Amino acid sequence: MNSAQIEIQLIASLVAIACAIPGTFLVLRKMAMISDAISHSILPGLVIGFFITQDLNSPLLILLAALTGIITVVLVERIQKTGLVKEDTAIGLVFPALFSIGVILIAKNANDIHLDVDAVLLGELAFAPFDRLIIAGADIGPKSLWVIGTILAITIGLLIAFFKELKISTFDAGLAASLGFSPALIHYGLMTMASITTVGAFDAVGAILVVALMIAPAASAYLLTTDLKKMLGLAIAFGVFSAISGYWLAHWLDASIAGSITTMLGILFLIIYLFAPNKGLIAVMYREKQQRTEVSLLTFLLHLKNHSEERERHVNHLQEHINWQKVRAKTVLDLALKNNMILINNKIVSLTQKGDEFTSKAIDYIITNEDAQIEDMKDDFFLFRG
Amino acid sequence: MENKIVEKSSPLSSGNIAVQVDDLTVAYNYKPVLWDIDLEIPEGVLMAIVGPNGAGKSTLIKAILGILKPIAGSVSIYGKPYDEQRKLVAYVPQKGSVDWDFPTTALDVVMMGTYGSLGWIKRPGQKEKKAALEALEKVGMLPFKGRQISQLSGGQQQRIFLARALVQDASIYFMDEPFQGVDATTEVAIINILKDLRKAGKTVIVVHHDLQTVPEYFDWVTFLNVKKIATGPVKDIFNDDNLTKTYGINYKVSIQE
Amino acid sequence: MRRKGKIPAFTETMDLKEYIELVFNDYTLRTITLGTAILGAVTGMLGSFAVLRKQSLLGDAISHAALPGIAIAFLITGSKDSNTLLVGALISGLIGTFWIRGIIAKTHLKSDTALGLILSLFFGFGMLLLTFIQKQPNANQAGLDKYLFGQAATLVESDVWLMAIITGLCLFVLLFFWKEFKLFLFDTDYAKTLGFNTNFIDILITSFIVLAIVLGLQTVGVVLMSAMLLAPAAAARQWTNSLSKMVVLAAVFGAFSGVLGTAISASQNNLSTGPVIVIIASVFVIFSFIFSPSRGLLFRQIRFIANRRDLELQKTLAFMYHIAETHEDISHPHTIKILNNFQGYTRKTLQKLVDKNYVTLDGTMWSLTEKGFETAANLYNQQAIKDE
Repeated sequence: MNSAQIEIQLIASLVAIACAIPGTFLVLRKMAMISDAISHSILPGLVIGFFITQDLNSPLLILLAALTGIITVVLVERIQKTGLVKEDTAIGLVFPALFSIGVILIAKNANDIHLDVDAVLLGELAFAPFDRLIIAGADIGPKSLWVIGTILAITIGLLIAFFKELKISTFDAGLAASLGFSPALIHYGLMTMASITTVGAFDAVGAILVVALMIAPAASAYLLTTDLKKMLGLAIAFGVFSAISGYWLAHWLDASIAGSITTMLGILFLIIYLFAPNKGLIAVMYREKQQRTEVSLLTFLLHLKNHSEERERHVNHLQEHINWQKVRAKTVLDLALKNNMILINNKIVSLTQKGDEFTSKAIDYIITNEDAQIEDMKDDFFLFRG
Repeated sequence: MENKIVEKSSPLSSGNIAVQVDDLTVAYNYKPVLWDIDLEIPEGVLMAIVGPNGAGKSTLIKAILGILKPIAGSVSIYGKPYDEQRKLVAYVPQKGSVDWDFPTTALDVVMMGTYGSLGWIKRPGQKEKKAALEALEKVGMLPFKGRQISQLSGGQQQRIFLARALVQDASIYFMDEPFQGVDATTEVAIINILKDLRKAGKTVIVVHHDLQTVPEYFDWVTFLNVKKIATGPVKDIFNDDNLTKTYGINYKVSIQE
Repeated sequence: MRRKGKIPAFTETMDLKEYIELVFNDYTLRTITLGTAILGAVTGMLGSFAVLRKQSLLGDAISHAALPGIAIAFLITGSKDSNTLLVGALISGLIGTFWIRGIIAKTHLKSDTALGLILSLFFGFGMLLLTFIQKQPNANQAGLDKYLFGQAATLVESDVWLMAIITGLCLFVLLFFWKEFKLFLFDTDYAKTLGFNTNFIDILITSFIVLAIVLGLQTVGVVLMSAMLLAPAAAARQWTNSLSKMVVLAAVFGAFSGVLGTAISASQNNLSTGPVIVIIASVFVIFSFIFSPSRGLLFRQIRFIANRRDLELQKTLAFMYHIAETHEDISHPHTIKILNNFQGYTRKTLQKLVDKNYVTLDGTMWSLTEKGFETAANLYNQQAIKDE
């Protein structure tokens, strides 16, 4: 590994961390698509900033572009407030318009601006190590490393300083307001950080990858934990892992680094989406199947308890009357028998003592919704968990 | 008066069961919200379904109408499955379930009530339009027929929904909280229409929140809280005992009469 | 930005008449103008449905999700034929759409997260494939990146024919199932109780939206495609309260954006068509938001101010009414000074009341006229009716 390779991986990792932190909050606040809007609409800000500064890594340019991001957010909210269109339509109207203005500005000034729209969208991480920051004649590393490093430091600083406020306002805006934290201030603070991070990251990884790095690690972490700190930690870890493995994938395929990192994020998300222990697709489907059987069992037991008539308790009734298919009816019957909940005499089903008690207890729980009564049932039944 | 109606519409005298629900269990995302409901609704009653929030009142209606698929149990309308009896049934959803900024007029919404009998592809014609106008007239909304639906008050929107169900010219009407967020005038107008429907021998089933008005408005009531607690004539079963069973400890409502 | 195959540059001095002649005579310009017009019409039409279903951002996700399909179709067939690539785009767009639905249905992730995920992940994967293709030695890959930002200039007659056929098909289905679409969009549950198969209608609408987006990729590109879907529909919604008129208007706005956008980009150097079309469509939106008579912000503001003025006038009149009431003779004169204590009173409101003949002035004294008294008395009754 040469030093350029290390620098690229370092930059990619820092970008991943800087994106994962605001991304986690955006996902939790149901504002993921705002990051998509910001990432596109910073383009005109970048172009205008470039006219003024002539330097893609200048702090002024970053601030100007970030300002466009905030303008986007404000504009979207303003349009939503008019009630003229539905909320999501407002986002979809604002960012293509701003992006188009950016593209046209570049096209009209093609001779003065060496900005490439492809590069804005896709970034070119491979070139990042060639643009060095030289202070007093000494080479102290690639410029974008310093840019993203500074942004990351600010992000972490703000995160630590305002963690409590962010947490409360994310989960309970009303409570936050009553405690005296202005939800609006935190909201715009977060939007500002998201905009600055997007601008700082775009020229290394491109606007679309910024969106992926914000949303995908957070969404993956969301499927694994409900604890905010753990979610942040996991999102950062996933981001860094994808950044480094993505780099080597690109190296191996000789393809775009940004595209490869996104692809790794995609693979990671797909795996977690399928296999996450509680919220993954397979777990959910297994649980649903289990719950279906349990609900059927309880329905069946309840039915027996509710009806003393023999006609209603005949084995065949389960099929005809409750409207279940043969297989399902048999599964339920077997399950109840195995657990000593029922007795079958002459094809007439009746509850055992155990079955009767169990059913009463379950019904009590269902109606009162009081957890304490069924603590011991939770081990056996999915139904009563979470 | 009250007695007479109950007598006339009691299942013993008319003999017909309009809606029969057997062992119905319904779940949202595999979390059961209704357990093993058995229910017989006799023809010609004006019935309230009451119960606390989250008791599954709307769910019961939606399951009967096939909007939700039950986990177990069956529903029959006049002895046959719902699919075969659709034309006998009309539905008034909760007002909040649709987007009232949708670009359409009051008359247009009411016309939708005719779509079911038209079936696929066939367009509504003069006959359907006439029926829709009559229904608008009945709910006192004829002057507003061309009005964009977002420019109607909550009560007016509810009347439009009612008119849409009236157009269906059904035998059984299911209504999900028709009195929710309506003004006093509309409430009176709606209950008068419901009483007219009952007089015409129709069966009306209403998810209802306001316990105070149950004895005044309805002749039949079902108490529901995940399980069915009780069902029957209001004068027989609308008492503190059933209310307590449904709503929890010592629930009391001052019953007029 | 690479911009090969730009529309032949027309001089900036060209006037409108010359331009229109050129549209009819010049093959390239005619093809592009027709193509963008048809595209604008079909996306505007279907966009109305997307907007009303609150699926505005789905278009953005679908267009991005189509990118890997284009690359894979090229990798498999090695053909740059736009129809082949569109089939790939269609398949991957549909996969993206249904995956989004799967994520929303089976996990606790919210819809916007699902949209953002699929959008960025599919796009990133598409970029990986595109850069991979570009490095292949044998590839005649040039031109695949036109799908990023679109290049209307690469449209040929067969592309326009394809658009026309699909638009025709879409129009036919729309007319055929109009009643069902409307019912489904407004009240899905109700449609179900009437016996309509809502899943079928849902899949039909979604498929056509995906198809329209894929059709537009070559012209407008992945990034800006969603605006083609939303902007005409959002503008049209402001002018009408009827679904059918909205759909027709959206189609007209879309087509105009296409034609105007093409004209402007053709008459300027260095302007790609896609962004210009989007800007034009956005101008339609802004104009509609402000100037629509019934919903627009301008008239809303005017009505608001007028209402407030009316209210002030009424308040002053009511105040005078209360004073006049205490006297047997309603026209008994009172001093203007009393009014000074009343908030909302200005010389202007007084003058207005005089103009309306509700009040007569005599030096520093005022008195209610018969007409003014009656109007004031009626105000109370009207208020009671309004409140009800």
